[in-house]
Amino acid sequence: MTKFTLNGQPVEVDNPPEELLLLVIRDGVGLKGTKYGCGAAMCGACTVHVNGEASFACQLTVGDVEGATVTTIEGLSSDGTHPLQKAWIDEQVPQCGYCQSGQIMRAAALLSEISNPSRAEIVDYMSANLCRCGTYNRIFKAVERAAREV
Amino acid sequence: MAHRSTHATLCRRGFLKASAGLSFVVGAGGLLSVDAQAAGSEMLKVNPWMTIRADGKISIIFPSTEMGQSSYSTLPQILAEELDADWGDVVIEQLNEDDRTFGNPAFGGVLYTAGSTGVEGYFDPMRKAGAQARDVLLQIAAREIGVDKKTLMTAPSAVVTQDGTRISYGDLAAAGAEGIQIPGADDVPLKPVDAFRIIGHDIPRRDVPAKSTGKAVYAIDVTLPDMAYACIQRAPVEGERPVAVQDDEARAMPGVLDIVALPDAVAVVAETYWSALLARGTLDITWSETSPFRAHGSEATMALYAAEAESPSETPAVWAKKGDASAAISGADTRLTQTYLSDYAYHAQIEPMAAVAHVDADGKGAEVWAGTQTQSWTTNTVMDVLETTRDRVRLNMMTMGGGFGRRTAFVQDYVRDALLCSKSVGRPVKVIWTREDDVKNGVFRPLAVQRMSGGVSTDGMLQGFHHRVATPTVIGFFNPGRWNAVKPNDVISMRGAESKFYSIPDFLADHVITERQARLSPYRGIGAAYTGFAAEAFMDELAEAAGRDPLDFRLDLVEDNLRGRHLLGKVAEMSDWRNRGDRAMGLAFAGYHSSMAAGVVEIALDRNSGEISLKHIWVAADAGLIVSPDNAHNQIEGAAVFGISCALTERIDIEAGEVVQNNYWDYEITRAHQVPPIDVYMAQVNAHPTGVGELGLPFVPPAIANAFHALTGKRLRHMPFTPDRVLEVLNS
Repeated sequence: MTKFTLNGQPVEVDNPPEELLLLVIRDGVGLKGTKYGCGAAMCGACTVHVNGEASFACQLTVGDVEGATVTTIEGLSSDGTHPLQKAWIDEQVPQCGYCQSGQIMRAAALLSEISNPSRAEIVDYMSANLCRCGTYNRIFKAVERAAREV
Repeated sequence: MAHRSTHATLCRRGFLKASAGLSFVVGAGGLLSVDAQAAGSEMLKVNPWMTIRADGKISIIFPSTEMGQSSYSTLPQILAEELDADWGDVVIEQLNEDDRTFGNPAFGGVLYTAGSTGVEGYFDPMRKAGAQARDVLLQIAAREIGVDKKTLMTAPSAVVTQDGTRISYGDLAAAGAEGIQIPGADDVPLKPVDAFRIIGHDIPRRDVPAKSTGKAVYAIDVTLPDMAYACIQRAPVEGERPVAVQDDEARAMPGVLDIVALPDAVAVVAETYWSALLARGTLDITWSETSPFRAHGSEATMALYAAEAESPSETPAVWAKKGDASAAISGADTRLTQTYLSDYAYHAQIEPMAAVAHVDADGKGAEVWAGTQTQSWTTNTVMDVLETTRDRVRLNMMTMGGGFGRRTAFVQDYVRDALLCSKSVGRPVKVIWTREDDVKNGVFRPLAVQRMSGGVSTDGMLQGFHHRVATPTVIGFFNPGRWNAVKPNDVISMRGAESKFYSIPDFLADHVITERQARLSPYRGIGAAYTGFAAEAFMDELAEAAGRDPLDFRLDLVEDNLRGRHLLGKVAEMSDWRNRGDRAMGLAFAGYHSSMAAGVVEIALDRNSGEISLKHIWVAADAGLIVSPDNAHNQIEGAAVFGISCALTERIDIEAGEVVQNNYWDYEITRAHQVPPIDVYMAQVNAHPTGVGELGLPFVPPAIANAFHALTGKRLRHMPFTPDRVLEVLNS
């Protein structure tokens, strides 16, 4: 049994402790907003927060988060109205949308670290996550918009 | 006269019942019939492409599939505009079957989402269908009120009488279509452009909220009761098959349900994907070693295609021809010939191949959840695999985590895998390819060698242009039946080589159809992703040979193309081209099909590492009338970003028939820090829309190559311009 806090709720899972956190979140708990893209820490589609830090869920086992606090896109806000989510809609960021949960979770970690980041800080921080549709410039604008609102 | 309550007017007739409504049967040629629903009855389900319910909800079928291009929102907007619907009343319904009634006119009626054809193909039929439905609603209102239809107008989702009474479309639908004449598709007037209030306006995309909250459901997310998971070990080389499988250890592992032999792969089916992955790692598979593809490597392929480009073993297929290019070039004062190379490229869509299948107990039918670019070929895949009939196929077309051509094949092997696994274990099965599976078993933009020849006169004018492309047929591989119909014209391999935006009196583009030595596929921009590179980089070489500014040299060639001329002038103004001084700027004028883009890039170069970076991109584009302007900007920006990595990093190598690359660490695509500001200008023109999905890509690689020349005096002729190649060129 692994116990951790997921989106504010205590959870206990009986998956093998060496199973990937990403698969436990998606298939065990059933939260599908966190995506599989590469399994190699290269694309960031699986970005979640572990104890507040942006982390690749494909690089952690569920055993790694024993006792930790994990937040996924579903836990970022109860009703999809986090300033970043509103900014994503206002700037019409997504195209295919597949990477955007991870982008938003990384941006949320950035804003909790630096509340009013410069464009250079945003670009640098967001470079961990890939967007094949190429929505990067809109992502930058949306992060700036959200930063103005928090 | 007092304003009457519409509601009261129609209630008097006793028609208002909750489930009543109108079902419009709309075909590609327009409205075919309209069925009135008896009050209280179920909706008739005879191809109900559009329905208006008594509660005012208007359902419009979305005939394409969504992969990020936003036609899910854009196509229904076209119909809603002419219907004069309130966009807020519109419910979009995904077409989940191979019903050719609403096939893509650009693909002979096949349901096929590709080639930036959605808006272009469906624009007229959907406008006419909306206008016909609006006319029917006007007729119903005229009948109900007892006035001449000509006295009635529409406002969003309502008919309005001369005294200002509004009768909602819902109420009219409830009143029924008795005695109504359906007008011919060409007999109803369409709105003038200046009356549009949906088309050309920035209406938010419908799918963006779900994609901003993690709620959008892709094929990889589908979960069914009792569903199992499958992980596939595919043959290392095309054409090989498993001849022996040692799977004792895998079968004994917890959660493993079955090991399934597939024609070219071995699948592990298990209770969880984790169990399937672990078990796959223990398989000991002996593969056949007879495939001729084992003899192929991309270096040798490049050499073969280069030899074919130089002296074709068969007569090249003429792709586009005007005048006599050969004679014009021979007679020119200065003659130039150069060879341009481009490697295989991979789609790198972030959602890898995934599909869920639930095969019926008799093995002759299935429900399938998949993200593909075609209802038609996915249906065909299910029919072929299960040897069954169309009526036994139930599709769920899922929104895709990127397409870019990856999901277009006539036979979809990931769907096939899910079907065979489900059939084998008698449960629904989800197949997920890992990223490595997706790269190693990718289908690629073909490797190409392009031999460019041209001449210039002493007064600096272009005199003859010959664009020869040595590459295989892509259609011949991914859709052989189609190839039989179109041979030897392969639009996927050749698009862009026609240089149709220029007037060149003596012009030839021809295709040396080389032997296929890898799996191939359409890719974003199709042929234009590499033909645009060669055509526009070589155009700069000719301008240099002519002693002309690259802009002036091109302006000579667009004297008959005023819209193109406008774009060149515009992008020059945006980028301050005339005053560029020693800034490293390059210009290119390319596009996609009938959409044009003039682009300028400014680059920086690290001469020690050989790394090129982008400082700015300016693009002036013309795609005819734009339905969704904000989305068009997003698409063009996105394609330009795609073009950056296409130009700088994207490269698949093949050795002994196996793909060398593995994952995003050795197949790099553009990251945030590599993206410059991108300024997009869209020409405002009242002309048929021609598509925006791929338009932003083809100009980027040649503009970068041309900027590199402006900076260094050297030419980059092998795409991608990786640091090692850049250093080699710098030191040459």
